[in-house]
Amino acid sequence: MEQENASVLIPQKTSPITSFYTKPRKPFKEIIIERILLLLTILSSILIFFVMFFVISKAVPVLKASGFNFVFSGGWDDIFSKAWQAGADQPVWRFGALPLIAGTVLATSGALVFCFTFGLGCAVFIEEICPAWLRKPLKSTVRLLAAIPSVIYGLVGLMTVVPFISKYLISNELSLRMIKICILDGTSLLAGIIVLSMMIGPIFIAMAGDAIKSAPKRYKEASLALGLSHWRTIVKIILPAARNGIVAGAILAAGRAIGEAIALSMVTGSVANLPNPAHGLVFFLEPVRTLASTIVDNAEGMSVAACESALFACGSVLLLTCVLLSLFSRIVSGNLRQGGASNN
Amino acid sequence: MFREICGRGALRIIRTIKGENAIGHAACWLSGLLTLFLLLFIVIFLVLKGIHAINWDFITSDPRPSLNQNLTGGILTPIIGTFLLVVLGTLFALPWALATAIYLAEYTEGNLWVGPIRMGIDILSGVPTIVFAIFGLAIFTNPHLSFFSTMVEEVTNAKAFGRSFMVSSITMSMMVLPFIIKSIEEAIRAVPSAYKEAAYGLGISKWRTIRKIVLPSAISGIITGVVLGIGRIAGDTAIVWLCLGGSMTLTGTQPWWHPQNWLATLQNTGSTLTTYIFYSSPAGEGNSPDKAFGAGLILIVIILALNSLVDHWGRYRTLREE
Repeated sequence: MEQENASVLIPQKTSPITSFYTKPRKPFKEIIIERILLLLTILSSILIFFVMFFVISKAVPVLKASGFNFVFSGGWDDIFSKAWQAGADQPVWRFGALPLIAGTVLATSGALVFCFTFGLGCAVFIEEICPAWLRKPLKSTVRLLAAIPSVIYGLVGLMTVVPFISKYLISNELSLRMIKICILDGTSLLAGIIVLSMMIGPIFIAMAGDAIKSAPKRYKEASLALGLSHWRTIVKIILPAARNGIVAGAILAAGRAIGEAIALSMVTGSVANLPNPAHGLVFFLEPVRTLASTIVDNAEGMSVAACESALFACGSVLLLTCVLLSLFSRIVSGNLRQGGASNN
Repeated sequence: MFREICGRGALRIIRTIKGENAIGHAACWLSGLLTLFLLLFIVIFLVLKGIHAINWDFITSDPRPSLNQNLTGGILTPIIGTFLLVVLGTLFALPWALATAIYLAEYTEGNLWVGPIRMGIDILSGVPTIVFAIFGLAIFTNPHLSFFSTMVEEVTNAKAFGRSFMVSSITMSMMVLPFIIKSIEEAIRAVPSAYKEAAYGLGISKWRTIRKIVLPSAISGIITGVVLGIGRIAGDTAIVWLCLGGSMTLTGTQPWWHPQNWLATLQNTGSTLTTYIFYSSPAGEGNSPDKAFGAGLILIVIILALNSLVDHWGRYRTLREE
């Protein structure tokens, strides 16, 4: 008995001492604080799952009833007003959001084309070409433009771009000819593209500028030392080296463009119209509506369950697209960090 | 004037850099100057259109519904609404963002699961504000959360209204969270590790080091993050339009400035400068564009002032580091 007691006692005596030297124990308060911080951190990281869960679960009735027709069939406005007027006993669950998705894709891709051409030029200008005295004001300009609220872009676009289009691009005969299809009053896909490219341009310029700046200096020096001109160095060396960052910037800008609601709801006409490419250039003058601005425009329909679910379905399409774009942008800029510059 | 300057720039380029690609250079000059002129155009346009609307009466009177533009009143309650949202949104977002940023910057050495956490926050920053807005509605129309807004009377299935200052400021704080986290984390990481090592060497615990050494050294970066968040909250429209509703005046128990009515005001709806602009523009229902320009001018002045504040803090920080 005594021996057993002793063998139990000895480790008990020594264990606090050894553990003190091998691994100092943190004070209780430190542990508590660390746990609280960890909890809040995990909370902010799983917030995205909460958002996805609630938005998609509200959208399920419409998505289930419509299936793939939600993406491939049209007639949003008619169905929406039908669902709005339908009684509680026979709700309308089948919606078709093709015009909205087409509007979103058209406006976003148009704006991306615009802002890629001008934005890349501007980023190269800021980082490589412009005289030193102009660089600082230009950089502040880009930052301020990125900070201007979207409703102000919408207001300025509505009061300048839209009247310009209706005055100079739409003639009376044209609007008479088109009156059966849609009303041409200047609020159009073109106005949306212009306003949207003004909005996402600064974001793209800032990202592309960072990418160009972080291209290795020695590439540029080596190229210049080999006798290439500055312009050729930019086109052949710096831009390829910064390619991944530029693409990541474009993806980020696309995500912003897809989710833009207010400004587009102000300038694109708020009609769920599917522009017809057969009309030639009039295509760009026809009103459209994007997924995001639909939620703003039809917000009063939220009191009817079917309409609410349809708007949440639009929201979940938006959300999933933006999550995919974020992941994609992460992958692309991850390649950048691994030295994507040297792969050709 | 625009064409003249562009033409002069292009000519100068062609003259000075013979043999290089003049067209490319000209295109770059053009797009650079285009960006500069875009900002000037927006600001000058707003000033020209909005300056007439702004007077003392415009700032100190409530909006009134009227078809006559001269009778539509002022923007007192939208300004108060913006102020309320900014203060409440920052109050909710700052402690949360600070905790997350401290954890990510100081406690994550050698942790493998920090990658997924970062990814979640990263993706959150790409979620459109309109999605946050309907998320806020989905959460706060739950009858159990009716404390944050009011209950809807006379409906068969119980439902909270889901639109109030509290709802929209909580939604706003989720929206700005990733941006504030990123900014604060960068600031904390920029604190020289010698400071921390000195504190540890003196036997100060980790949390005390963070509280007394790291956070005070990173204060300018934290302020930058908060100001950026304020700019985002003040400039957002989608969340306000859906989670605060379209009523222009404060709908809580009147008069709203009495302390016993403050809670009711927060539980009820109102407007901010952004929704006022949206509502008064020809796109909304108010149809008083001059007032919209006045409010737009005030909003853009606030945003530009906040941004120059950030610039100032940033410069101060870099100067001190040198």
